[in-house]
Amino acid sequence: MDITEFDRDEAVAEAMHGLQEMTRGTVLKRAGLVAGGGLAASLLPSGLAFGRAAGGSRARDIQILNFALTLEYLEAEFYALALKHSAEAGFGPKTLRFAQVVAQHEAIHVNALKSVLGSKAVAKPKFDFKRTTRKISTFLLTAKVLEDTGVAAYSGQAPRILQAAVLGPAASILAVEARHAAWVRRLIGGSGNRVLPAPTAFEAPKSMEQILEEVGATGFITS
Amino acid sequence: MSKNIPLVDVTHLHAFDTDGAIREAADNVERAVSRRGLLRNAGFVAGGAAAAAVMPGTAFAASIGPIDKSILNFALTLEYLEAAFYKRAQENMNLQGELKRFAKIVGDHERAHVVALRKALGSDAVKRPSFFFGSATRSRSTFVATAIALEDTGVEAYIGQATRLRSDKLLAAAAAILPIEARHASWIRYIAGLTPAPATFNPSKTKDQVLAVVKSTGFIRS
Repeated sequence: MDITEFDRDEAVAEAMHGLQEMTRGTVLKRAGLVAGGGLAASLLPSGLAFGRAAGGSRARDIQILNFALTLEYLEAEFYALALKHSAEAGFGPKTLRFAQVVAQHEAIHVNALKSVLGSKAVAKPKFDFKRTTRKISTFLLTAKVLEDTGVAAYSGQAPRILQAAVLGPAASILAVEARHAAWVRRLIGGSGNRVLPAPTAFEAPKSMEQILEEVGATGFITS
Repeated sequence: MSKNIPLVDVTHLHAFDTDGAIREAADNVERAVSRRGLLRNAGFVAGGAAAAAVMPGTAFAASIGPIDKSILNFALTLEYLEAAFYKRAQENMNLQGELKRFAKIVGDHERAHVVALRKALGSDAVKRPSFFFGSATRSRSTFVATAIALEDTGVEAYIGQATRLRSDKLLAAAAAILPIEARHASWIRYIAGLTPAPATFNPSKTKDQVLAVVKSTGFIRS
């Protein structure tokens, strides 16, 4: 899988090479980033709308949000497909519950990020999950990889975010992805914890490039 | 807890409020000084270095601004509390199987967080309070319920503080600890038969809200 195929409208390539700096007014208008926490309010029930003062740029925030959106598209599509195949894949009640709850979370993360980005939102790629959703074992192992990857991605991007109105929701989603990751690890590892839900004392963050390379290597994104 | 961490007989709440750090932090959320400006003044080069590499073993207390310092001390207090809770449970309870493993592994993580935060703060690190866990470490059910409360609160606290940190380095460190707390919360909720990830967006709590929760537990000996 070639990274350049990651997204057909080149939004990811754009993200990797850095978005062109736009005027503040343009960015705010196009991304709907109204100062004063309107973004956080639209994303989260509880306000996280402090003014994070500096560090990074608004253009980079959009790049990060689109990066996150791409990962959420991937996860949402994966779980939606898994639910379609749950009977033939032999999901038991615990796996089914996990897939249902997480599918809903990822779908809502997608919608939230899309609404924040507005016309700047990257288009949804096409996916091929290669029968990983057809068996409970491959579903769980793939879910583990996707969730751990999501956590590493959000953990890596958080300190690069400029606006508190973006950082607050990102931190909130980071926690939820980590909960998903621990949950699926527990399902795989069983009560003997052959796979630990929390394998390290510190999460190992990954850069955008590392994540895109790993996602590219899965071959799940076809166009 | 390591023996070189001094025990004090004041509550951490007291210790915190003595220098007005909490109030100061809360009152200065809307500030005129840019975060970037502070970093430059402090001689920081903003960088996205991996938290796990940066934080443990790095003492740079002298260059941490007062608000970041109070946030780190707030986090340290929560980590002291968690670490002490699991240590007490391991000592006092005959935990078996998965719960025993949970207490050991999570306790190790919380101790590592304490060490990292203390190293970052250097001599500005708040002292370890003494704790009284009462019935929380006497039965399986109270242990599980308390662990859920502590871990969920820890996650909410880190989310609440993330946007207030000015240093990118410290934010990177917080972003490496936050998901671990969330993994702990998820794990213990699973053990308890609860939904490990009960919300699409994890709620946050302000420092005052978290301190109110901590105070209500009565775990801080006064």
